[in-house]
Amino acid sequence: MGLRDDLERYREVGEERRQDLSEFIQYGDLGESLPDEVKIPIKIVDLPEFAYDPRDKGGVGQGDGGTPDVGDPVGQPQPQPGDGDEDGDPGEEGGEHEYYEMDPEEFAQELDEELGLDLEPKGKKVVEEKEGDYTDITRTGPASTLDFERLFKEGLKRKLAMDFDEEYVREALKVEGWGPDAVFEWARGENLPVSRAWIENAYDELPRGERTTWDSIEQMEANVEETTALQRIRREGLEQVPFRREDERYRYPEIVEEKEKNVVVVNIRDVSGSMREKKRELVERTFTPLDWYLTGKYDNAEFIYIAHDAEAWAVEREEFFGIRSGGGTRISSAYELAAELLEEYPFSEWNRYVFAAGDSENSSNDTEERVIPLMEQIPANLHAYVETQPSGNAINATHAEEVERHFDGNDVAVAYVTGPEDVVDAIYTILSTENNE
Amino acid sequence: MSESDQDRIQKQRIAEGLEEPVAEANRLARKLGLDPFPVNYWIIDYDEMNELIAYGGFQERYPHWRWGMQYDRQQKQRQFLGGKAFEIVNNDNPSHAFLQESNSLADQKAVITHVEAHADFFKNNQWFGLFADDPDAAAMLASHARTVESYMSDPDIDREEVEAWIDHVLCLEDCIDQHQPFAPVEGDDGAGPDLEDVDERLEELGLSDEVRSQVFDDEWREAQRPEEDGAAFPEEPELDVIGFLRKHGRAYDEDAGKAVEYEDWQRDVIELLRREAYYFAPQKMTKCMNEGWAAYWESMMMGEEGFAGADEFLHYADHQAMVLNSPGFNPYKLGKELWEYIENATNRREVAEHLLRVEGVTWRNFPDRVDLDEVLAALEPDRAIDRIDADSIADLDPEDPRVDAEALERARAGEIDLERYPWKVLTYEGLCERHYSLVKPQYRGFLKQLSQSDLERIARYMFDDARYDSVEEAVAAVDRTAGWDRMREIRESHNDVTFLDEFLTQEFVDANDYFTYEYTQTTRDFRATSTDVEDVKKKLMLQFTNFGKPTVVVEDANYNNRNELLLAHQYNGVMLDLQQAQQTLERVFELWGRPVGLKTIVKELDEHDVEVARRRDREPEPEEQGKLIRFDGEEFAIEDLPWEEVEHLAATDVDYDTKPDDWLA
Repeated sequence: MGLRDDLERYREVGEERRQDLSEFIQYGDLGESLPDEVKIPIKIVDLPEFAYDPRDKGGVGQGDGGTPDVGDPVGQPQPQPGDGDEDGDPGEEGGEHEYYEMDPEEFAQELDEELGLDLEPKGKKVVEEKEGDYTDITRTGPASTLDFERLFKEGLKRKLAMDFDEEYVREALKVEGWGPDAVFEWARGENLPVSRAWIENAYDELPRGERTTWDSIEQMEANVEETTALQRIRREGLEQVPFRREDERYRYPEIVEEKEKNVVVVNIRDVSGSMREKKRELVERTFTPLDWYLTGKYDNAEFIYIAHDAEAWAVEREEFFGIRSGGGTRISSAYELAAELLEEYPFSEWNRYVFAAGDSENSSNDTEERVIPLMEQIPANLHAYVETQPSGNAINATHAEEVERHFDGNDVAVAYVTGPEDVVDAIYTILSTENNE
Repeated sequence: MSESDQDRIQKQRIAEGLEEPVAEANRLARKLGLDPFPVNYWIIDYDEMNELIAYGGFQERYPHWRWGMQYDRQQKQRQFLGGKAFEIVNNDNPSHAFLQESNSLADQKAVITHVEAHADFFKNNQWFGLFADDPDAAAMLASHARTVESYMSDPDIDREEVEAWIDHVLCLEDCIDQHQPFAPVEGDDGAGPDLEDVDERLEELGLSDEVRSQVFDDEWREAQRPEEDGAAFPEEPELDVIGFLRKHGRAYDEDAGKAVEYEDWQRDVIELLRREAYYFAPQKMTKCMNEGWAAYWESMMMGEEGFAGADEFLHYADHQAMVLNSPGFNPYKLGKELWEYIENATNRREVAEHLLRVEGVTWRNFPDRVDLDEVLAALEPDRAIDRIDADSIADLDPEDPRVDAEALERARAGEIDLERYPWKVLTYEGLCERHYSLVKPQYRGFLKQLSQSDLERIARYMFDDARYDSVEEAVAAVDRTAGWDRMREIRESHNDVTFLDEFLTQEFVDANDYFTYEYTQTTRDFRATSTDVEDVKKKLMLQFTNFGKPTVVVEDANYNNRNELLLAHQYNGVMLDLQQAQQTLERVFELWGRPVGLKTIVKELDEHDVEVARRRDREPEPEEQGKLIRFDGEEFAIEDLPWEEVEHLAATDVDYDTKPDDWLA
């Protein structure tokens, strides 16, 4: 007797032996898991004892830098001493739980370390344009990011470009015989940025007597000196800089494309009559850590659960591990449904994992004729099949072998689980298959 | 070299590296006033550690599935959650402690200091003395293991039956009289008053066989036994239910359809499980204190006395935080916090008493006459004590009571590594000053929280109130050992219940954010109810008294004159989990062999009242109702009892309800 024996007895409690204890067994219920926590379900056999009614008992809590106000809900009671039924040896640290809770990210990290994995998730869908440094420039934006220096410079340039010596042009209008047309023509030749409208306006305002001041343009040019823009600014000051909307520039952060690491995981499970409790449990033990692992690795993880016998249907997670049906088995039905459901998750935007599990029994020729082609048609980071056969192989259970033979490790993992001790190896096989890619 | 040899050599190498930390931790613990059992340390690997944890810290336990369950859980927890540095130490003389070979040196040192403090607690706490002063636990448990193994492999005994029998007894594991010293059940054959006596007397009457079989049939003879002297049996309610069953119980024989005497193996199994329950009881009764004590001294030695090297400290701090900062209510953290509070409160009282003895200082003028900042400055440890290095020891005076003269001499001769073990040149008094709590940064405000009413209370019974001429003189006379001295006194005589009852104060509850909660019928969830120390104490009492379990006693072993066993639940205002109570009764039936009953009081709520209360946003008032739950081996019968029949069970002076009167109003 010893550890091995005690473990054996524990596993058999409520099953082959000691049926009398089956009412005290609690299996972890995955459905209750908080969204950001994973729980590792374990079988707990709680012997009955004289105990307080937990509701009537109430309890003590400890706040973290404050206490809730009287009347505030406190959630589920915190574990209390005496809840566990242990010998209370010093050294048993932590409360007694039916689950161990951990963060999926930590879990993934642990698993990476434990198994020496280093799965680098691929970013796919662009979900966010993150701001980098304010080095880019745009034409619109919040006032605070307006590049005023540039606006001023541009305004100044524009002013200089539009500015002309108004007096000089007016003098030209005083040349005898010249009307607005002639002046406009002349101004153009002189590269003076003056508009026809301005000239006409100025001509109208010019007293008639002055319109013949100069005999010729040459005479005017000889007598009137054109001032430069700089001289005028110096003389008159910078009265008005023409700010134009089109000169406005807003400093803008450089846009960095953030690709979200999206993953969609399809879990397929054979729920047909041949899948008994032990096989069911092995699937749960294998799939659950895989789900946590991927949840921990990706920013956004979506799960699809497909149960199948000869038909396939999508279910919620809570039901997934519990369903049992009587029908036969046609694995391709699940892949057909998977292909359909995955249409919502284009491979260009989503990482895809398709995990199936069962006891390798399938209806004849289904694997070769339908499942394998479907697996080839569904683009995914990884396809995996987990065979759960607690008692070794059944004769007609060849699905796993056929799949393995066909793909030979290329993006398709096949793992065999005959007992809980194989689970970690199976997880490793599956995750390292993608890793090798 | 074989793998096991390599393994052995590897462990040996680690053990050699730990010899010095082990020896020094023990010396340091003794310098700090602790007095531990000697400890044998063992280096074990990861799997062995998991196994030991599963088996409650001992290598040999009787075969049982629950060790397998605990192993499975332990192994999964560590696989998926990463390993914490576990420490295991057994209450034994010498104590045995186990170190995992793959732990870092910082973790090993932390475990060692922690263990030394536990070993001190085991040796000095009087509750541990109740089982035995010298428990020899490993040998006892190993012999239990051999006994059970021999029964299980006996071809005449069905192994499943032995296992199920163990389960029956384990359901009553906490139904012992843990406040009494352990004594084995005397070698009674379980028959109570001797049937043979009755037979003999019938013989003397010279009745015909026919009359005997008609009138004085088996049933009649059975009924004679407990009534022999007309007294109730047991005379007083019996707390040690397992012991009582061991003595008077019978097994139900399915084939014969009646109760039969225990087999030897059945009696032995009950007795050894009872002994184990008594052995583990003190640990359960002092969990909060004992773990708090170990955490306190671990942190004193590792953190404050630098037993972790500078490079190890960060790692150590991380470990400590992980252990103590698990979320929610943590009895170990409560223990450590309360020890720290006791230390501070004792030191503060010592200071206050001295200050109130300064001529002219009274509790009324205290704030005007005493500048507490100056007091704190004066209480700072002497620089020469605070910082010890090769240069500073030149100034230490070997005559100084704070200085270990002999060690000082060796230190001056260069024989002591002062950088690693500066404490060696100090005595207990010196270390008390060096680690005086009130001047630590985190507790600097503590002295100033003295209220006028605290001062008045301290001053009330004080004579000799003009002993000192000045505040300086008074502060100089403060005994800095007061805190640790008091802590050691408390660890000798208290258990968790008395510890919390006596030392929990409003100041403590406020500073550490404790609160109570209750289930409310109106909202159908748990709501915070109070932060009042009395309420928090009530709830803690409920959780620590009697292992946090309701008290169930043997009230009558001849109930209704039919040899039925009547248990009684001593109702303290909190009702039983009735489903579990019934399941437990089924097990008790197996150990009694005849029908069993349980008297209890339940709270009944009328659905209509609940609805009305809900509409009015109030809590409904439950009705307390006496109940008798009886199990005859086949089915349950539950009947209401008139109040007179259960009145004696209802405690009138306790109330564990913490809901305020104007609840949710």
